[in-house]
Amino acid sequence: MSFAIETHDLSRTFESYKKSEGLWNSVKGFWNRQTVQKIALKPTNIKIEAGQIVGLVGSNGAGKTTLLKLLSGLIAPTTGEAKVLGYNPFERKTEFLRRISLLLGQKNQLWWDITPLDSYALLAKIYDLDETVAKNKVKELSHLLHCEHVLETQLRRLSLGERMKMEIIGSLLHSPEVLYLDEPTIGLDIVAQEIIREFLNEYVKNRGPTVILTSHYMDDIAKLADRLLLISKGGIVYDGTVDGFVAKSEKLHIVTYKFEGEPEQRSEITKSELNSFLNSVSNKGQLESFKIEETDFEHVIHSFLQKESRVF
Amino acid sequence: MSFTAFYRRNLGFFKLAIASNLEYRLNFLLDSVFQPLVNSIVEMVLWMAIFKGAQAIEIAGFTQNYYLAYALWGTFVARITVNWMYEFRMIEEIDTGSINGLLVRPMHYYEYYLSQLLGYKLVTTTVSFIFPLTLITLFDLPTQWSRIPAAMALIFYYVIFVYGMSFCIASLAFIFNKVNSLTVTKNLALWLLTGELFPLDLMPENIKNLFLALPFSCGVYIPVGYITGRIDSSVLIQGFQTTTIGLVIVSVLGFFLWRKGMKQYAGTGA
Amino acid sequence: MLAPAHKTTLKEMFKKYFILYRAFFKASAIAEIEFRLNFAMKIFNDIIWYAAQVFTFEVLFLHTKLIGTWDVYQTRVFLGVLFIIDAMYMIFLQENLDKFSEKVRKGELDLLLTKPVNSQFMISFQKVSVSCFGNLMIATGWFVSSLLNLQEVSWGRSLWIFLLVPCGFTILYSIRFCMAALSVILVRADNLQFVWYQLYRLGMRPDSIYLRWLQIIILTILPVGLIASVPARAILDPPETWVYVWSLAAAPLSLWLSSRFWKFALSKYQSASS
Repeated sequence: MSFAIETHDLSRTFESYKKSEGLWNSVKGFWNRQTVQKIALKPTNIKIEAGQIVGLVGSNGAGKTTLLKLLSGLIAPTTGEAKVLGYNPFERKTEFLRRISLLLGQKNQLWWDITPLDSYALLAKIYDLDETVAKNKVKELSHLLHCEHVLETQLRRLSLGERMKMEIIGSLLHSPEVLYLDEPTIGLDIVAQEIIREFLNEYVKNRGPTVILTSHYMDDIAKLADRLLLISKGGIVYDGTVDGFVAKSEKLHIVTYKFEGEPEQRSEITKSELNSFLNSVSNKGQLESFKIEETDFEHVIHSFLQKESRVF
Repeated sequence: MSFTAFYRRNLGFFKLAIASNLEYRLNFLLDSVFQPLVNSIVEMVLWMAIFKGAQAIEIAGFTQNYYLAYALWGTFVARITVNWMYEFRMIEEIDTGSINGLLVRPMHYYEYYLSQLLGYKLVTTTVSFIFPLTLITLFDLPTQWSRIPAAMALIFYYVIFVYGMSFCIASLAFIFNKVNSLTVTKNLALWLLTGELFPLDLMPENIKNLFLALPFSCGVYIPVGYITGRIDSSVLIQGFQTTTIGLVIVSVLGFFLWRKGMKQYAGTGA
Repeated sequence: MLAPAHKTTLKEMFKKYFILYRAFFKASAIAEIEFRLNFAMKIFNDIIWYAAQVFTFEVLFLHTKLIGTWDVYQTRVFLGVLFIIDAMYMIFLQENLDKFSEKVRKGELDLLLTKPVNSQFMISFQKVSVSCFGNLMIATGWFVSSLLNLQEVSWGRSLWIFLLVPCGFTILYSIRFCMAALSVILVRADNLQFVWYQLYRLGMRPDSIYLRWLQIIILTILPVGLIASVPARAILDPPETWVYVWSLAAAPLSLWLSSRFWKFALSKYQSASS
């Protein structure tokens, strides 16, 4: 089995320097600087099959973006190596770059002062695409995203949601085999999020690119990803399916109940505790209301991340 | 890599620069019309005052009209051969990490801005050409029109060298982040070294020869001196030679600085 | 707040702005020292700039005895005055005003306007280039030594510079500020600042080189001549009395006009993108 993405002990350390507060310390630091090493990504081994859609989840600063940058060749690894489509990303070979795409949800990649159509024409030249093929592709994608009407407006005059749709078209124009999506729905309203999610879902099903997706919205991950990579403090802490993660998680049920004349209470319990919990509650007094919910992915991830960030 | 693909995308960058500069009309007019106009007037007034103060017909063997022509062509050429805007943009892109969006494209950052710079220079040059054209004819100042094509060739060849310097400085932004002041330093030094401030031949012989041996004199003095008849074609050819040497040096330097910079690059921001 | 309306006294106001400025100063210094290469280059830059000015005039004086009405020694004094004012400009204003139009475009002006501090003050003085104090020392050194090299120097008249240099600086600030404030009305006009440099260049040459009409213009309508030429003339060859009076009056007047213009510009201001 060959893998689309493969890393072997891939890691990255950043260097910065320590600086204490105040003017005098700045002056001292002018001459003499103490460097501090910060590990952004610990040696990491992952293997991703072609056509797989991987959701990469972690809190801010956990190392998600560092991993994406390493895999797209933006930054050099400190140790180890990566192979993407058989290439070493950091060599940034033209043939490699032609086959991947990186979408950064928080940055503009299209040109600010010209229309999206002009940007796409330029991208077609950069990726050496046939002009008519590229035009048809734009037509098709913009139709799916319901945004044909803004193609001829300068990018800077578009709303955030429209701009993101334009960016997505731009990143898919050359039909990349490997697609990195970093926060594709960030800052968008629920309707726009839904449209983009739906679109990406359709797209990856039909075209089958290998995708790594990061998002703060767990709906994105739950809907799109076949596989979940959980990253915390620079290391992968879970690698498996979304359902598997939920199943593995102990807290499966949220119970909300209320005794007469008392405030509402909430507990999270596992399957094995269910029986004894019910008994103890029903013995305690007169119940006014009682509700059991199965927890969803969002909730599990949330409590996981919360726990992770507390462990300092 | 096929050459046609290379050519097509760079033509694209070239046009991109023209389109995005014409987008802001006021800015463009200030840049290509108002600024060179005021600049030429200021320079010409200075020379008139110098001649009045000197009470001489000639300075260093040339009449006042020669200096007015030099001032006029000098401001015109100096504006072509200086690079502020794209150099600052490159530095900022590297410092803030917005370069990421360009690095993942199948092209080199070097060609991306070189083509844009040339496109931008072409439009501003074309538009601001009317000033020397009208003023020279109006005041009948010494200019050898047949020499202009060769001089322009040297000017645009030199612009590539200027871009090489910009690329080196921008590469340093990977390591030092804020290097804007280095651009200012370089451009201020060039202000003096190119001969924009005064014709280099006014300097004592040995200093003048030193300046001429450097490629920077191709930024103003050599092409303008050639157009206005202060120097002959042998100096122009020497200019092509020094620029070539300079181009080789900045290219090699740029190659290594870029490689070192990319290794250190932390991929700032998202 | 329901506290009784309290009219801030002038003293309290000065104190508030002094404390604020001290905080700006400290923050700028810390930020500037962070980037070592930039810090050193900034000092170096102005040295090159001085050298270019000096070099130009020295070379020109190889071929002539007088430029305008001044000889090489007098021109050196003029350059000294120019360097001092320029160093002050570099320290207090340059960072702030050069970034002005960018701030407007990026919407930072919106944030400034919500602060309970005079917005003109905030936008003009937030950054201080500490490194340029080195340049001020060099400039002062050049000025004093060129003064000592004059054949005859009236030390009494030289005292005028303590009045006229601050005036020149105030006028410089006001013109530059209005230029920058234009970018509030005309969004995306970064090149306006290059236009400013061209105008400033008119003031960077002794005003006696200009034809009479141009001389009048740069003393009155476009008073860049008041920045360095008038203080230098006060030392070298005293101008008519009205020039002194006008210079002293023009400083507060231009400052007042700049604040009027700022209010006008703000009334035309449309906040950055959507």
